[in-house]
Amino acid sequence: MSGVLTLGSLDPAFEAAGRVDGEMVVLDLKSVEFVEPAGLCGLAALLEFVIPRSSLVGVRLSGHDVPAYLERMDFFRIFGHRVETNVDVAALEERRRGNPGTLQELIRFHSEEEIPGIINRISEILENKDYRLRERAAICATLSEICANAVEHGHSPFGAYAAVQAYQHVVSGGRTRGERAGEEVIIAIADGGVGVRETLSRNPKYAEHTQTDNDALRHALKMGVSGTGEVGRGGGLAVVAQISARASGSLSLRSGSGRVTSYGDRTNSRNVPPFPGAFVRVSLPRKPASSSAGQPVGKSRKADG
Amino acid sequence: MVYDVAADPTVGGKLMVTRGTGRRVREALAGLLEGLPSGGVLYVDTRGVELMDYSFADEALGILASRVASGEYGERRVVLVEEDRELLENVEASLRQRGLAMVRVEEPGGEPEVVGDVPGHLVETLREIQAAGSISNADLAARLGLNHTAMNNRATRLFKLGLIQRHKNTAAPGGRQYSYEGVS
Repeated sequence: MSGVLTLGSLDPAFEAAGRVDGEMVVLDLKSVEFVEPAGLCGLAALLEFVIPRSSLVGVRLSGHDVPAYLERMDFFRIFGHRVETNVDVAALEERRRGNPGTLQELIRFHSEEEIPGIINRISEILENKDYRLRERAAICATLSEICANAVEHGHSPFGAYAAVQAYQHVVSGGRTRGERAGEEVIIAIADGGVGVRETLSRNPKYAEHTQTDNDALRHALKMGVSGTGEVGRGGGLAVVAQISARASGSLSLRSGSGRVTSYGDRTNSRNVPPFPGAFVRVSLPRKPASSSAGQPVGKSRKADG
Repeated sequence: MVYDVAADPTVGGKLMVTRGTGRRVREALAGLLEGLPSGGVLYVDTRGVELMDYSFADEALGILASRVASGEYGERRVVLVEEDRELLENVEASLRQRGLAMVRVEEPGGEPEVVGDVPGHLVETLREIQAAGSISNADLAARLGLNHTAMNNRATRLFKLGLIQRHKNTAAPGGRQYSYEGVS
């Protein structure tokens, strides 16, 4: 396990979880130093997958920051009574402080009727944090569409998990200091349903687009592609891809053994260990209110050097 | 009649998301449409709405437009009251998926625009009709340099999309002839 808990970093655990048959399982997260919403939703989905297959699940964490963050993100409220952990949750609750970047703690939902309430709450938080209307609309529309997808196609035994976090630096892909400058909102959702390929396979028209999980994921990003084939359906994900592309962000889909990431002008796909259900991660970088477009950036930099 | 989506305390609001919400708004709109006389126009004012996701836009407005176009509400028409802003993109995307269009005005009585999937030559025809107020098929054909049959075909498409009103003038010279007028 690397220092950052992402969905990908849980791959070996998902692989091993498939072989669990009644024994006790310990999930060792002691090397985790940073948890992003995708890792949090992935962890929730993993636990939902492994808890019914195991006599007892232990979660091992180290340090203070990661357990404190998980507590603030309501992880222990949802899973505290279902797993055994080395963390003193009561002490964390006592010392609980607000988390300025949290836009949505880990939340479990089961039906479309719960979505407007989730959206109203996050919109209010964003308004209080002075997000502009178009930014709020982009974040809320992204969350509502992927939440709706998760409960509509999911038929998931545990429903779906979502989490949203705002960062004062760029988390996705940024390695150098320059690349990490700026802000970013990350939205993640995981469900335990039948997955994208099986949903699209219900529509015989897509037979040639559902040969592999990656084929199905790529096709699902196109406007008007849906399992039911009804006119007007299948627009949500395509719109989310447009929103993330416009923000110079990305949309990642993972289902079965496929993983597809869309950056607007290009789409990458690769084979990954199977994920039970469907997973969506959207990155929306924030642009400064006064855009620097048109300023002679090169010249001002030269003066610095 | 004007229906203000954001101001409706029962099914409306500023944040319009999900198909379920869209269905409830569409049912409210359908009830109002059915209460209008033939030829009546329902203005759907979304200017107070801050967010409308694709699912809501398709369920509330896309499906409503398809029912208007299929003749379910007779000659009653729907006009969207909305400014040219990002929120329109989801309405546009839904109508394009459905091969449909709606008339849009920035305020009731304002200059009509079209949102959705309408070929350029139909937009040109629609503009002529809207500018004329009321115009016969023959006069419209003359203005656009078309023969009567081609003119009739174009106008029939606009009528079936729910973008214009059409009247039969039985007393017209040379027998039956249609005349058209805009809906906004």
